[in-house]
Amino acid sequence: MTDVVVTCAGVAVGYGERPVLADIDLEIHRGEIVTLLGGSGCGKTTLLRAITGLLRPLAGTVTLLGEDIYALSDDDRRALLHRTGMAFQQDALFSAMSIVDNVALPLREVTRLPESVIAEMARIKLALVGLSGLEHRLPASLSGGQRKRAALARASILDPEIIFCDEPSAGLDPVVAAELDDTLRRFRDVLGVTVVVVTHELASIRAIADRAIMFGDGRVLAVGTVAELERSSDEGVYGFFHARAS
Amino acid sequence: MPVAVTHVDRKTRTATVALRGDLVIPTAQATYGQLRGLARRRDVRGVIVDFAGAGRVDSSGVAVVALVQRMMARTGKRLELVGLDEHHRAALELVALAGPTTSEPDDVVVPGFVEGIGASVIAYVHAGRELVALVVDISRQAWQVATRRKALPKGALVEQMARMGSDAVPIVALLGALLGTTLAFQGVVLLHRFGAGQFVADMIGLSMVREFGPMMTAIILTGRTGAAIAAELGTMRVGSEIDALATMGVSPTRFLLLPRLGALTVALPVLSLFAMFVGIAGGMVIAAVVIHVPASVFWDRIVARVTLMDFFHGVGKSVVFAWIIGLTASHLGMRTTADATSVGSATTRTVVVSVFFIILVDAVIATLASLGGT
Repeated sequence: MTDVVVTCAGVAVGYGERPVLADIDLEIHRGEIVTLLGGSGCGKTTLLRAITGLLRPLAGTVTLLGEDIYALSDDDRRALLHRTGMAFQQDALFSAMSIVDNVALPLREVTRLPESVIAEMARIKLALVGLSGLEHRLPASLSGGQRKRAALARASILDPEIIFCDEPSAGLDPVVAAELDDTLRRFRDVLGVTVVVVTHELASIRAIADRAIMFGDGRVLAVGTVAELERSSDEGVYGFFHARAS
Repeated sequence: MPVAVTHVDRKTRTATVALRGDLVIPTAQATYGQLRGLARRRDVRGVIVDFAGAGRVDSSGVAVVALVQRMMARTGKRLELVGLDEHHRAALELVALAGPTTSEPDDVVVPGFVEGIGASVIAYVHAGRELVALVVDISRQAWQVATRRKALPKGALVEQMARMGSDAVPIVALLGALLGTTLAFQGVVLLHRFGAGQFVADMIGLSMVREFGPMMTAIILTGRTGAAIAAELGTMRVGSEIDALATMGVSPTRFLLLPRLGALTVALPVLSLFAMFVGIAGGMVIAAVVIHVPASVFWDRIVARVTLMDFFHGVGKSVVFAWIIGLTASHLGMRTTADATSVGSATTRTVVVSVFFIILVDAVIATLASLGGT
């Protein structure tokens, strides 16, 4: 399927009056893994916050799953966001809740499913991210990689159509980062989820991205497959891939 | 809702369920109820679920199938899935991935009554030791600062004094004045009946200077400043900021606690003095308006009755109250663990424990002063 699930049209984002990114036009298609790339501070996380309804853009329109997210009422926006999941850079797990309770929380709040079904769904999702057996541990007792995977399980618990991940492999060792990449691919392959990942980790980008969108100088520098971007003649794009790869 | 067409073959005692539509979160509950009902029927030994007419299956559908499969397996029954397309198979692979059993919470040993008391005592002893260690560390760091071997962070003391002291002036003034007027109303009604209305000044003066000024200010600062100190320190603990100081070789006690304790030690007595005068002024206004005691007479009574010793008593108590608030907030804030609820708990406990000890210490001092004739 190639229908568009995220559209940004003329979007400018930033804090205060000053935009970090401006005139952003992009589309993300159903079932693809897209990475948003760029150096630190280029505005990729800010754009992700705008796409997920956390930060109203300074200009332009964000369309999520066919809806202009900032034109919706609060209730409608919340209902729309039930069809998406977000894994934050700092995992954002509730520290006083066990891992399974963290993962089951959206189901308990949003659905009326029986507790046994909720528990089973949480168990399945934790197994999918490789956390079987750690269900009843508190987040503080897990490693950084395990917490990030638990956050992914929580982001996926409502079987969303899109999962957004902000720097999922930041601060992880290469082995754990590769496992997380496998998990993201599995979400796409098994559950058919569209995955949007903000990252600047080259290994992850090469491992998972069907398509990449590169930001820099306050605008979109390039859009294409990773191979296309690596061959780009744009100095900023070329520098990103080759300076770091060397 | 998926239409589940059910047919039970009496010969083989097998029920066939033909799913129609999506098996997703909105329909999972109904499907689960139907399948569970079939699984529990005595005349059914097996269930065949036909997915040929089923649409999308999400993880709630997978969970339903897994639960029913396990439930039937426990009673020796079998669940068979037929008509699966590629998508259904991919989704149901999650069941295999999740494994056969649910892990249980780590074994929790519930302590008995005596063990519970013992655990509480041990916890209090442990907390007491930490408090003593904190007091020793504060004393040592304060000595180093006093002897100029170490310095407080630049501007920290002044900044804390502004936050704790001058920012609290409006609320202390308002509540001090209200307390003074309330006391005056109570005293005026009673004393005027016996023709001793002007002695309301004695009552208000002594009450505000020896008891209510210091006590009221201490309770205001417990809620306003003590809670803030505990929350700040707790949040810093959760965010590893205190660990960061320690790894830099910087004493968290000197860097964080001393400026706050020092500021509190100055701010609380000064605010108490302010509250005493505002309270007396409030009482003076009520006495003048209600029973027409001239302000000069009221003031003469205050000067005649309230001695310098009474002021020392009130201000001295304020210093003790400041240390109670500061030590409690520092101790509980620094003991915060790495979860969000512990910050709230530290803040609440700071207020409760501080108020308790302020009232307790006030009662002890009042008793001792009474016995000592001051």
